[in-house]
Amino acid sequence: MQAGHNATVFIVDDDVSVREALAWLLRSRQLQSEVFSGGHEFDAVLESGFSASSPCCLLLDVRMPGMSGLALFDKLLARGLVEVMPVIFLTGHADVPTAVDLVKRGAFDFCEKPFSDNALVDRVEQALKRSAALLAARNEKLVLQRRLTELTERERAVMRLVIEGAPNKLIADQLDISVRTVEVHRARVFDKMEVKSAVELANLVRSL
Amino acid sequence: MSAAALPAQSAPVRAWRRLAASKRSSLWGLLIALVAAMLVTLVWLAGRYEASQVQSRLDRDTADALADLRSALTRNAQSLQALQSGRPTPDSWSNDAAALLREHREWMRIEWRNAGLETIASADSPFRPSVFARFGRGNAQADVALACGNARRVSGPAYSSSYFLPQLDGMGLQVMELCVPQIANGQPTGYVVATYSLTEILSDLVGPQLTRSKQVAFTEADGTRLALHGSARRGSRIFTSQQLLDLPGNTMLLRMDSWRGAPDLFPNVLTALVTAMSIALLAVLVLLARDARRRLQAERDLADALAFRKAMEDSLVTGLRARDRQGRITYVNPAFCQMLGFSAEELLGHTTPPPYWPPELAGEYLKRQEIRLSGQKAPPREGYESVFMRKDGSRFPVLIIEAPLINKDGVQTGWMSAFLDISEQRRVEELSRASQERLQATARLATVGEMASLLSHELNQPLAAISSYATGSINLLNLQTAGAGAAATEFDALGEIEVAMRRIAEQAERAGKVIKSVHDFVRRRDQEREPMAPQALLDAIMPLVSLQARKVGVPVRIRVEDGLPAVVCDSTMVEQVLLNLARNAMQAMDQARVSDPSLAIEVRAIAGTLAAQSGKAWVEFSVADLGPGIPPEIQRQLFTPFFTTKSEGMGLGLSLCRTVVEQHGGSLRFEPNHPQGTIFRFTLPAEAAGRGAN
Repeated sequence: MQAGHNATVFIVDDDVSVREALAWLLRSRQLQSEVFSGGHEFDAVLESGFSASSPCCLLLDVRMPGMSGLALFDKLLARGLVEVMPVIFLTGHADVPTAVDLVKRGAFDFCEKPFSDNALVDRVEQALKRSAALLAARNEKLVLQRRLTELTERERAVMRLVIEGAPNKLIADQLDISVRTVEVHRARVFDKMEVKSAVELANLVRSL
Repeated sequence: MSAAALPAQSAPVRAWRRLAASKRSSLWGLLIALVAAMLVTLVWLAGRYEASQVQSRLDRDTADALADLRSALTRNAQSLQALQSGRPTPDSWSNDAAALLREHREWMRIEWRNAGLETIASADSPFRPSVFARFGRGNAQADVALACGNARRVSGPAYSSSYFLPQLDGMGLQVMELCVPQIANGQPTGYVVATYSLTEILSDLVGPQLTRSKQVAFTEADGTRLALHGSARRGSRIFTSQQLLDLPGNTMLLRMDSWRGAPDLFPNVLTALVTAMSIALLAVLVLLARDARRRLQAERDLADALAFRKAMEDSLVTGLRARDRQGRITYVNPAFCQMLGFSAEELLGHTTPPPYWPPELAGEYLKRQEIRLSGQKAPPREGYESVFMRKDGSRFPVLIIEAPLINKDGVQTGWMSAFLDISEQRRVEELSRASQERLQATARLATVGEMASLLSHELNQPLAAISSYATGSINLLNLQTAGAGAAATEFDALGEIEVAMRRIAEQAERAGKVIKSVHDFVRRRDQEREPMAPQALLDAIMPLVSLQARKVGVPVRIRVEDGLPAVVCDSTMVEQVLLNLARNAMQAMDQARVSDPSLAIEVRAIAGTLAAQSGKAWVEFSVADLGPGIPPEIQRQLFTPFFTTKSEGMGLGLSLCRTVVEQHGGSLRFEPNHPQGTIFRFTLPAEAAGRGAN
């Protein structure tokens, strides 16, 4: 619920009853899900230009006919999707070395069947939260970058000096313009970057 | 017999033999040379002897001839003297003289001369013309005078020396004069002079048997030949003998030459005999030498064969031992000694019990040996196993193969036995069996593990789904009770729960199917049943059974009824059952140390109530031992799983056996054997051949 309405849980499992039961369970906790019957089906979605615009996570069965869960995980790694789409592996056979390896390589979690269902849903929610947070951070950065591109050359120079903490008079000296002009530029930078003070501006730029 | 006891042929011995061989050959050479020399000497001596024989005979002949001559000449002189008796007239004298001349060819002429040597009357030999025709009598006057002078001096007949008398035909004669005086009152009154031809003397006065194949001649002392009779043969060996003929007034040598017909290698019988014997001797020598050489060759061949055999025996890893009929060891080979650690000297001649019998088994072995030596029971052709003791006291298993030792007369003199140390083989067999059993166990475990893994996955899926639905339903119910909020309106909770319950039921059914499929998998073995000949089932397990039987020394007897139908069974399982029962039986006898163990496996068709009830034919397998039997308190628990009397057993054998048999529709039971032991019997359905059932 906290993860938001637009969050999606992808379920990839070759066993139809298992994936439907999981989807149903998630629905009972108000989580949307999409089910796929195998690695190839999900891969096809990725191929067709999937981009994680909303929070999501992946419940992935390790042992499947066709493309196995491990192979699919490798593809996700290659596409750099593992961060925004945390992967929770599901397996019937606890294989500690494989589990450790997968977690080291970036898997979110590793659940052994039969799992404690609500605990799994809790982990799913945590994964979605993390996905949402990542997406939010990524969006913020994008907004900031767009704002920066709106600044003129002169405004950007003024902004840099402002961040360094230089007073207006010094900025005017350095840029060989009048103090009055500096003040105008400064006000514009504040306006465009949607900040109210030089400290706020400095924090914002440093987060980039 | 005991080649092992022979010392090895060392280098000095070989050298000595070579030396002896060369010595032998030089001795042979010497012998042949000596014999040849002796033979040559013999032949030469024989030749010499013969020559001397011939010579002495010739000498004798010459002496005879001389005696003949002397007596003939004396007689002739007397004949001439007789001519003058009775006062002859010249006419009557001439008649008498002519008559004499006819009798004596050696005289050429007889004259009657007076004291003054004048011829009164004369007569010539009628056999030839007058010899003085050419020469003239007057020329011989000197010789006549010489002879008569001598005659007058000795008052007896005297001879002149011989002289040559040429003849009309150009030849000549050697003649001499004989003068016989007529003495009256001490005064010669006249002389009778006879002219002798020397040649005729030789031909007429010497006996013809003496002159045959000889040449007789008169020679003077200096060798000048005066007269010759007989002819010489050229190229022949000449023997010569000379005797002096001294006549009053003349002395000549009578020379006799004898020859032998042809130059002969074997001049006479003796030489021929000696030569023949020599040749025979040489031939015998040659034969002997050849025989000796053959013998030598045979000896060498024999030595080679012996060396070959010895090398063969030495190279054998099989121990060989021969015993005579009293059980005494007469021969052992090195492998046997090495196997036991005893030396050949320690073993040879040893009587029962030999030092390699383990003391605790000696009684049993003694019994076996008595049976063997008495010839009652032939040893098994494939051999039998036994345990021997090395010198250090360690025991080891051997495989013994025995065969009767039969001499060239066809009489059995003992037993020859071959021994194979099978401890290594035993160890390898043990190892391979252990590893095979381990492998089988591993394979079984692997199958079980695989099955378990498959089962867990198959069951996990529906269980996971059920769990999910159940949890979800609880979630919904919680939501419902927590407060009929916004969630309840947008979510038909009851409908959802119904769906979930239905799904749960579906998944439970699925899990049930999984369990059933496992059951089906187990049942599927039923379909692998096929008709098998009972003999084939036994054949499959016999190698394993006999392996263990040999180890524990149990003879296995198998009896399969003729004309048995095939049994319908899962052969692998039934073989396991048979193997299990056979092993149990052998272990039971081995553990109880039964003195005369025996394992009997029988297969027969059974009729009777069981067959009548089921309407099927059955085949009964039985495995009987002579062990101690099964105590009643154990009998009750015999088929209980995990009940065992063996330290290493699992207690599953008999219970599994019964399960397998019962799965086939048969039954497994046991009963006491007579006089002791246990019989396990189980039945299997026979193939319904003629009945058309199934």
